[in-house]
Amino acid sequence: MRPLDPRLLRYAHAARRFLLVGALLGLAQTLVVIVFAWLLTRAITFTVAGEPLRTIAPTLTALAGVVVLRSVLIWLLEIAANRGAAQVKSQLRAKVIAKIAERGPDWVASRQSARLSTVVTTGLDALDNYFARYLPQLLLTMIATPILIAVILSQDLISGFIVIVVIPLIPLFMILIGRVTQSVQQEQWQALQRLSTGFLDVVGGLGTLKIYGRERRQFDRIRSITEEYRTRTMKVLRVSFLSGFVLELAASLSVALIAVSIGLRLIDGALLLGVGLFVLLLAPEVFLPVRQVGAQFHAASDGLAAAEELFAILDDETTSEISRADSAAHTVQFGSGALLLDGVSVRRGDTLVIDHVHAKFFPGQVSVVRGVSGVGKSTLVAALLGFIPFTGTLTLDGVTVPAGATRDWLAWAGQRPGLFRGTVAENVALGTASADHTGRNQSLVVQSLRWAGVAEVSPATVLGVNGEGLSGGQAQRVAAARAIYRALATDCHVLILDEPSSALDSDAEAGLLVGLRHLADQGRVVIVVSHRAAVVAAADNVIELQELTHA
Amino acid sequence: MPEVTLSTPTRDVLRLAQPRPRWFVPGLLAGIGSAVLAVALLACSAWLITVAAGMPSLAVLGLAVVGVRAFAIFRSVFRYLERVSSHDSAFRQLAELRLGMFRRIVPIAPAGLTSTGRGDLLTRLVRDVDDLQDLPLRVVQPLLVAAITALLSVVGIWLIVPAAGLTLLVCLLLAAILGTFFSGTLSARADRELAPLRGSLADEVLEIVENLDVLTAFDALNPRLEQLAQTDARLRKAALRRSVGIGVQSAVVSLFAGAATLGALYFGVPALDSGGGLLSPVLLGPTVIVAVLVPMAVFEVFGMIPLAGSAWRQVRVGASRVADVVPTAVPGEIPVDGVDPQTLFAPDRAIGPVVLELTDLGARWPGQHQPGVAGVTLRLAPGDRVHLAGPSGAGKTTLAQTLVRFLDYTGSYRLNGVETRLLAQSEVRRMVGLCEQRPWLFDDSIRQNLLFARDTATDAELDAVLARVGLTEWSRARGGLDARVGERGSLVSGGQAQRIALARALLANFPVLIVDEPTANVDSAGADALVRDILTAAADAHRAVLLISHTPVPDELVTARVTLPARTGGNPQDQSM
Repeated sequence: MRPLDPRLLRYAHAARRFLLVGALLGLAQTLVVIVFAWLLTRAITFTVAGEPLRTIAPTLTALAGVVVLRSVLIWLLEIAANRGAAQVKSQLRAKVIAKIAERGPDWVASRQSARLSTVVTTGLDALDNYFARYLPQLLLTMIATPILIAVILSQDLISGFIVIVVIPLIPLFMILIGRVTQSVQQEQWQALQRLSTGFLDVVGGLGTLKIYGRERRQFDRIRSITEEYRTRTMKVLRVSFLSGFVLELAASLSVALIAVSIGLRLIDGALLLGVGLFVLLLAPEVFLPVRQVGAQFHAASDGLAAAEELFAILDDETTSEISRADSAAHTVQFGSGALLLDGVSVRRGDTLVIDHVHAKFFPGQVSVVRGVSGVGKSTLVAALLGFIPFTGTLTLDGVTVPAGATRDWLAWAGQRPGLFRGTVAENVALGTASADHTGRNQSLVVQSLRWAGVAEVSPATVLGVNGEGLSGGQAQRVAAARAIYRALATDCHVLILDEPSSALDSDAEAGLLVGLRHLADQGRVVIVVSHRAAVVAAADNVIELQELTHA
Repeated sequence: MPEVTLSTPTRDVLRLAQPRPRWFVPGLLAGIGSAVLAVALLACSAWLITVAAGMPSLAVLGLAVVGVRAFAIFRSVFRYLERVSSHDSAFRQLAELRLGMFRRIVPIAPAGLTSTGRGDLLTRLVRDVDDLQDLPLRVVQPLLVAAITALLSVVGIWLIVPAAGLTLLVCLLLAAILGTFFSGTLSARADRELAPLRGSLADEVLEIVENLDVLTAFDALNPRLEQLAQTDARLRKAALRRSVGIGVQSAVVSLFAGAATLGALYFGVPALDSGGGLLSPVLLGPTVIVAVLVPMAVFEVFGMIPLAGSAWRQVRVGASRVADVVPTAVPGEIPVDGVDPQTLFAPDRAIGPVVLELTDLGARWPGQHQPGVAGVTLRLAPGDRVHLAGPSGAGKTTLAQTLVRFLDYTGSYRLNGVETRLLAQSEVRRMVGLCEQRPWLFDDSIRQNLLFARDTATDAELDAVLARVGLTEWSRARGGLDARVGERGSLVSGGQAQRIALARALLANFPVLIVDEPTANVDSAGADALVRDILTAAADAHRAVLLISHTPVPDELVTARVTLPARTGGNPQDQSM
């Protein structure tokens, strides 16, 4: 892990500003630390020399001022760090979302979408610690350490040398111990992963375990996996903690060495008390930021790991053909004839998923596309939607549909309902510009719901995130209603439903089929991807997708 | 800590997290040792230098020289020991913590854990339980170490310059009170302000990313992105506003650290002037210097307290979440065994044929007002294969959960004529088995996932049962019984998981077998074949099978059909259809 990823500065301007402000504040803090030590030394030497309080009073006043200044600077640095974190997160989030939108649905489908959104939200929040705790200390290490060493050197060469010798030992030992820890950790990693999920496995499967009368036996199992988890983790930790030990030891031993060396030279009269005390007060400050960096390393690495994932997305330069085509999107007017697929093929990487499909879908008919699992039905639909590039031609009413054309002739419902937070009416009217709440649209929403066979759901029902609050079958039909609404409201000529009835009982399925028949009767091309016997029976036209022999 | 108004259940959870003294004290002692030595190191160094400035003989300093070096080394050694020992004790307690939680979960699972029905919530519960380790590690231990070290230092300085000791005490107390006050109220307010914004941002991102296809296909992406940008801007503004408050705490601590040093100087100088006290004049000067410098070291140790404060807020939130999800008392809707249950078949005897009868059976989920299922009358005799159908929300899953006694019932539910309420739950579950809608596969081999149904089964028997459910080729392709199924069965498709679950149920040889929506997570191409295979494999003259399914079932496979009427109530787990 790099302590400061240059890509952070490249992708988030706010990070650059923070580094500048932070460096200035760090410099000011360092100066305040030096002045504080100097004033304190002065006050103490006066005291030892037997000066009365009156003489020391100005020094004390100045010291009080420095104390206040120090605390203000600490405050300012924290403010700067937290502001920096908020701005950087916001900038990175905007960039990644824009990138995701540009890459399109097919790219998202090739990743775990839940993981993707976690990275953009809570994953990024791990950057808080990186900014608030780690980065300021890193800045201080880079700014304060050399200045303080220079000051110590200028006061007392021997103490300066002690610090100069010890400081490089710290990263050296940290790296050595890090190496050892890494190999121990890698050995243990798999086992630890398994053991740490062991408890989850037992709790999650408790229903199953009870069915088989096994719940009582799990007490021993939990105890033994946890105990094994403890012994293995401790094995790793014993080594990991060594790096902290070395840090502490180096810091405190060098203070001790400096104190003893100063003491011995004071006896000889080779050094003044004022100089000795000043150096002794500065010595721990040299090590403080390095120790903090070490202590915050873990908290910070979470944030960096999250940032790393984002950078991987942002750095991904492979341009998708679809997104390029989209930029040249143009609208074509189509008539109301048949939809024709002529030699349509789709490749994914080197694999041919769909090989020269020829199919004709007539207006006024309900057509069913079927084929065994994995034959590429959904891929074909994605190609029609323009999510995946294809070769071959697609014509509607004899006019070729260009690759980049907007799909305003097409209304679609996918296998996943894909509903949103909001009312059912808002969901059904998604994306239609005229989605105000005029009576006509309301009645169209009701009609769409009825044709989708889900009249029992009120348009005013409020759904949670991702359409929570409906049963799976209802959600599926509301999604179908959304496609039907689009077909009716924007006069789309083609309607494609991908497995619309997989979660439906036969009554609900029959209701949907009646609605689809109405749409076909209006002269539309209606395409249903399905296996269900009832759907196939109701179709005018069945298109069988053949399995690719060489796939 | 202030603002401690913990509910009793939360306190019970927290109590489980704190290790017993025998484990906890060694780490605590090492921690105190390390912190005290850190203060002593500075004190001894300062003393050494100021005494040396008086140019005494080397012998006077001998002890101090040894002391400084020893403190430096042992401070780090103790710190290492503290970390090892406190982590070890926290892990030891983790076993107790998990067992304690498990003991509470067992009687209510799975029906009483409905709010954890979603996998991510369950994961969070388990993680919350595990995160309670932070209580001893990051809250109790640092608080005690800091408090005891501070107290010892105050006493030490008070002995030298009483007024300086009191100043230090006052500064420490003020720093602690104001520091926690500021960080407590400010971060609480910030969290109140930011949490909902963070939540809605996360929801919006999730909706956009997961439904990018829908948004693109419906030309609705750009308005969504604009809306997201607005939410993000609101969150950013709120975060910027609150950044002012966050640093106050460190600033306050630093301010009082300085005040303590100033106070020690202010009171120390006259003390030196007047002379006297416990010490001889020669040693007085250096000792007063120690009194001036020690507060700096004490406040460094004291820096642990704010961190402990924020750790405490997290632990407390986690503990109350755990307490909410896992109630201390078993809800009334979940059955509890009677004191002296009747027995139909002795535990050491084989189970004979079983007839299941329901009369006007009803059941309700915990926390629901409406019954999830009502008025069911049904008879299942050996050899019966009944298809139970019904629209969404009719209570099919509720019925399945009731039959294996995860939910209590109203009306009558008899096995061989005996009301099941009078039987032990474990005995009912020897007679009535369930293949759940989402069968849980354990992160282990196929063999282990089958063996727990009957641990005496030989490999040949396991292979035979896999053949019956149509998994022979599949298991062979993956390397046989030793193939792993992945975390939560992630390496296994929905249909294969159902087949493994059925194989498990066949091994256990339940006289009554309920199969709940086996096709819920299977694409429709595989659904028909799966239903057919299940009914064929489970068919047996000695077994009664109740297949719950919304998909049509061919007539020749079943002996009877029952349809549950639609209901308005519904239940939280009946969501997948």
